[in-house]
Amino acid sequence: MSAQPRLQRRRRRPEILPYLLLLPTGLFVALFTAWPTLLSLYQSFFRQRLNIAKFRDPTFIGLDNYAKLLADPRFWQVMRNTTIYVLVTAPISIVLGFLFALLVNRAIKGIGPARLAFFHPTILPMVSAATIWMFFFTPDYGLFNTFLVTLGYSGPQNWVGNPHLALPAVMIVAIWKNAGYYMIFYLAGLQNLPTDVYEAAVLDGANWWQMLWRITFPLLRRTTLFVSTIAFIGAFQMVDHIFVLTGGGPSRASTVLLFYLWQERFENQNIGKAATLTVILIVFLLIFTVTNFILSERKEEDAHA
Amino acid sequence: MKRNIFWIMLVIGVLVVAGCTATAPTQAPPAAPTEAPAAAPTEAPAPEPTEPPAAEPVTIQVFYPVAVDAPIADILKGYIDAFQADNPNIMVEPVFSGGYGDVKTAIQTTIDGGGQPPALAVMLATDLYDQINADNIVPLDDYIAGMDDGQAYLDDFFPAFLANSRYDGKLWSLPFQRSAVVMYYNADLFKEKGLDPPDSWQALAEAGQAMVEKEGDQVSRWGIEWPSGWPYWLFQPLAIGAGQNIIGDSDVEVYFDDPKVIEAVQFYIDLSHVYGAMPEGVQAVWGQAPSDLASGQTAMIVHSTGSLTGLLDQADFEVGVMAVPGKEKGTYATVPGGGNLYIFKGAPQEQQDAAWKFVEFLTQPEYAADFSINTGYIASRQSAYDTDAMKAYTAKVPQALATRDVLQYAGAEFSVQNLGEVRNIFHDYLQKAYNGEMTPEEAMAAAQADAEAALADFK
Repeated sequence: MSAQPRLQRRRRRPEILPYLLLLPTGLFVALFTAWPTLLSLYQSFFRQRLNIAKFRDPTFIGLDNYAKLLADPRFWQVMRNTTIYVLVTAPISIVLGFLFALLVNRAIKGIGPARLAFFHPTILPMVSAATIWMFFFTPDYGLFNTFLVTLGYSGPQNWVGNPHLALPAVMIVAIWKNAGYYMIFYLAGLQNLPTDVYEAAVLDGANWWQMLWRITFPLLRRTTLFVSTIAFIGAFQMVDHIFVLTGGGPSRASTVLLFYLWQERFENQNIGKAATLTVILIVFLLIFTVTNFILSERKEEDAHA
Repeated sequence: MKRNIFWIMLVIGVLVVAGCTATAPTQAPPAAPTEAPAAAPTEAPAPEPTEPPAAEPVTIQVFYPVAVDAPIADILKGYIDAFQADNPNIMVEPVFSGGYGDVKTAIQTTIDGGGQPPALAVMLATDLYDQINADNIVPLDDYIAGMDDGQAYLDDFFPAFLANSRYDGKLWSLPFQRSAVVMYYNADLFKEKGLDPPDSWQALAEAGQAMVEKEGDQVSRWGIEWPSGWPYWLFQPLAIGAGQNIIGDSDVEVYFDDPKVIEAVQFYIDLSHVYGAMPEGVQAVWGQAPSDLASGQTAMIVHSTGSLTGLLDQADFEVGVMAVPGKEKGTYATVPGGGNLYIFKGAPQEQQDAAWKFVEFLTQPEYAADFSINTGYIASRQSAYDTDAMKAYTAKVPQALATRDVLQYAGAEFSVQNLGEVRNIFHDYLQKAYNGEMTPEEAMAAAQADAEAALADFK
């Protein structure tokens, strides 16, 4: 200890600057994130309905909101839709984003337009994208149906009105919209990869597949972790196109959690129920993030071991 | 260390997203007229002489949605300029807020957050009960009683447009941008086939059947398209035409499982399954239907009066406009739709008073006529049709008179207590019946039971 008096002194001095730098962020997080979250948790224990005069003032009802939701078949339909929506759109968008990135990362002439083609859905506002897709999905003469028919498709064409096709339809649009976005992250990752490992691999006689699977993919793990986190969170969050395409219908076939939350809060003015759904949504997001964190930390340790 | 920062950022990201879920996403206006380009740039009529200006300057905000393809912002700006010229002490600040849903959300969020709502807003006529229950709006009776001839003023509005304005013996809103359900048909095709416009369900089904054209298995022209992605509004004329509206006189009555309503659901399904005149199942074609008619993909559509101007621009044939035929020969039906003017309680008294002055100004016959001509909405007042501007317009576009004339067959638009929930229940089961997931009897019985449960707290 006495051997390093200078270091000791420097350490003892309280470091203010980092905290000062964090302060604005901390303030915003507290104000716009932590506070609404806690407020939702609090409100979820109350019955409060703005459109019913006698329930306009909140009444404490304990876990009643939760019990009612869990007993409501509509809620379970929404949860089922949400699970399918998230578990299908996020992985497919990520894999497509990765494949697009591999494709456009090559030094081929005219790769610029290809990059643009994959990326342009990302630039479009979701509502515009959904409006365009509304026309693609039109029965009889819509582009999407015409394309499918040339491939030999003979099934129903009423994508947004058919109870079995509405959820797939909104998932297709979400994947189309997001894959290009995730491509950008993978492309950035790919372009930062060291070239020496590949040179070494070529000397060792590794084939393309081995290099992809043994070198590229592991080296991009950080990127994958980041992309999968934003992809899963984004999948819970993105509902704009549902308003345009299906309005959650037909008969709730394409209603997901956030859309349902919006309906309860703003159409039905049911504050207690909306708060309960918010809490459930937050719990879902936290479970996912923490799981992702634990899994990847373990991998990281394995990698270091 | 780097790793930890990365994770902290991630967790913060998650929390931010979670926090953001309390905000509303954008909403598309589902059952609002989509196409009604203005015929000509707005020209505000000559200003009317009004009362001397108030002593203190007041600024009021007006929240309004744009639900049609018309330059509403420019039109309103012109009216506001004319109004402010007459009332130099009142500043009107128009706030464009998206669709109807967005206006409602924006105002509710402001009020919930302890903020001051705008003095005036254009919201759906059917928002009435929710707004009263939330204690957001003020009745307008005192203002009308203070007019020179308030009763004559009220009587001049089309009664169908006031059907969703009264509650508890008071008047809470005045009609502004109003529409109705109509049937548009390709009159040239009807002439070609030697058919008269249908005057009953039977005639409608047969005409629809006769109009269908096929290339092989593929239908190249449908008899009729009847959008049902957000179905209650275009369904109501069927129920009324069968002899029973889906709502009653009180604010807690619904008649979903009435045999006549079930019959109406069955007729919609029969148009596809029995007559082959219409695409099967839920038709999520609100946006495309007018251009489908114009381009010959269908011979008839059921849609909003708001689509008239756009249709007339696009179609190279004579466009017929009529009320939806009823079940019995010679009967017809429609329902009104669209937005009314509401004054908000949370605004200070002087702002409310100023807002009323602006309401009075906007609802003058000359302005109602001008608004109708430039947007395609039906003018809210009967005397608007006696103005010179409107006479000149309807001489050129006689269909604009037809959209007014359907109002005589109007029933009340679906508006009950707890509207959001009851309407969603009705939509869910109506679409299940349309899509063949339930029979009309099963679906409507379930809808009735669920709706009564949702209305129990109000009885």
